[in-house]
Amino acid sequence: MGTIELKNVKKSFGTTDVIKDVSLIAEEGEFVVFVGPSGCGKSTLLRLISGLEETDDGTIHIDGEDVTKLDPYDRNLSMVFQSYALYPHMSVYENIAFALRTARVPKPEIDRKVREAAETLKLTSYLDRKPKDLSGGQRQRVAIGRAIVREPKGFLFDEPLSNLDAALRTQTRIEIAKLHKQLGSTMIYVTHDQIEAMTLADKIVVLKDGQVMQIGSPKELYARPNSTFVAQFIGSPKMNLLPNGSYDGQAMQFNKNVKITVGSVQGKPTVLGVRPEDITLCDPEASELRAKVAIYEFHGADNNVFVDVPGLGNLNIRADGKLDLKDGQSVGLKVDTSQIHYFDDSGARV
Amino acid sequence: MTTRQENRILAAPVVLFLLAMLGFPTIIDIIYSLSEVSFENLRSPSFNGGQNFVTVFNDAEFWSASWFSLKFGVTTAFAECALGLILAVYLAPIIRNNNWMIAVLIMPMIIAPVMMGLMYRLVLHEFVGSLPHYLYTWFNWSPAFLSRENVFLTVFTIETLQWTPFAFLLFYMAYQAIPSDMREAAAVDGTRPWRMFWYIELPQMAPTIAVGFFIRFIDGFRVFDNIFVLTGSGAGGSTTSLSIYIYLSFFRSGDIGKALAASVVLFCVAFVILFFAGRFLRRKRA
Repeated sequence: MGTIELKNVKKSFGTTDVIKDVSLIAEEGEFVVFVGPSGCGKSTLLRLISGLEETDDGTIHIDGEDVTKLDPYDRNLSMVFQSYALYPHMSVYENIAFALRTARVPKPEIDRKVREAAETLKLTSYLDRKPKDLSGGQRQRVAIGRAIVREPKGFLFDEPLSNLDAALRTQTRIEIAKLHKQLGSTMIYVTHDQIEAMTLADKIVVLKDGQVMQIGSPKELYARPNSTFVAQFIGSPKMNLLPNGSYDGQAMQFNKNVKITVGSVQGKPTVLGVRPEDITLCDPEASELRAKVAIYEFHGADNNVFVDVPGLGNLNIRADGKLDLKDGQSVGLKVDTSQIHYFDDSGARV
Repeated sequence: MTTRQENRILAAPVVLFLLAMLGFPTIIDIIYSLSEVSFENLRSPSFNGGQNFVTVFNDAEFWSASWFSLKFGVTTAFAECALGLILAVYLAPIIRNNNWMIAVLIMPMIIAPVMMGLMYRLVLHEFVGSLPHYLYTWFNWSPAFLSRENVFLTVFTIETLQWTPFAFLLFYMAYQAIPSDMREAAAVDGTRPWRMFWYIELPQMAPTIAVGFFIRFIDGFRVFDNIFVLTGSGAGGSTTSLSIYIYLSFFRSGDIGKALAASVVLFCVAFVILFFAGRFLRRKRA
């Protein structure tokens, strides 16, 4: 119970195509995260699944049943909104109980379920309060409580943590992960924050301009991004991309003076991608790549270093926090060749 | 100069204005209501205790006028709010994309109530009115709109037709102000439209509905112009509202003391109602 499948779904607002032919499947109990930059259509996709927007073309299936034409209230899903969307005239208890009362669940059972949910979400002492007397984090927990008591076929989260401050966001994120383990239900979660995506997801769907760029587990996306877009979107700090290169069978040649020896590579890559943690600083004499430190930020455990490579531009490097760096200092760079990603001119992985 | 003094100086003009425009008439009102007074001895009223109040309370017409005003105020306010609410909710999806419709719908409010009375006097006229004419032509029958039995229904309908747009406008705004994600959250949670209306939308609109009902009740209770122009006091006093009663006592009978005693009673009742209504609304908001 709880598979959600989209087949060739399309949606446009006026002349703008917001969702262009999206197909994907969320298996039973899977935590799927839609991630992408603003305006990529991830929220629209969630609204299509919930039924709040009508699908123009294609079909949506829940447990194999075609629900494309069903109203939101017949789809048996639950949704948690960024703005919480609590009912201000009801107490916390009534907010959580509302959907159960709608479903005409017997009173003692409602009471048991509401108290159970409140216990899970640490809301027991707030049950009599109105939403306006709660903090942001508590309100979001009420919204989650409202969703879980119904035991729906799937949960939809629309950027639920965006309105919370940083500390609370991390804490609530962990609570959502725990909740998923505990309930084992299918969850679809929309965010623009790739850290939320990486930490929560079983499966990440990267979207851009209404199209799926790549679907995979966080590890897969990180290790084998299929395009420069995904490569730069997943991972923080961003992956370095070195464009306009040519492969000569031994090394990637970028400029007259700049080359990186990479060994044998299949195909004809022109763009080389390397993550900041896969470059290490070394003695300038010991390396074929020389650079000057432009800016470095000390983060404690590590240094976030930007170096200027003559003829190539800026590179971002994650270096040990114990290193003592100076602005303008000459350094050599050593690239871990086993961790290099290759792309062609169109941005596709080679 | 202290802030306190400054405040007093700055507030003085408006205080003086209010004292002159409201305070003075109120005091004169109270003095006259306790005196033997007519147009001949306006400057030298003679105190006669509560005699005027006794007259008013013993006057059957006063009680029937009060009953008319109360009945008229409550029924029109109720009908206007109910119709306004239905229109607001029912038309909201259409109006959202056609804003100009609001202008058309609130047009009756633009017409002065006196004009409304005059208009209906013509439309409902037994011999030249268009409505009786067509009723006779098509059905060979027409009710006597302004007869003692039917007149309440007639003025009730006229008032309701004119002021339903006010309730509609107020409720439409309140309906639009309900956050859409609240409706969406409820919809995804299995709430069907009917339950959505009763349990999510209506409670959100309740304060506005209470205010709308209250304003319409006050307006209906003190009704004067459109009814006075249409029927005067009505056959056998059937449309004598409290305002009309006071007007008639003052100008037709020249019974100034009685008229002002009635207006003082009206003032006291209005004050008590306003006081409790205000408290009720404040508690609702808190």
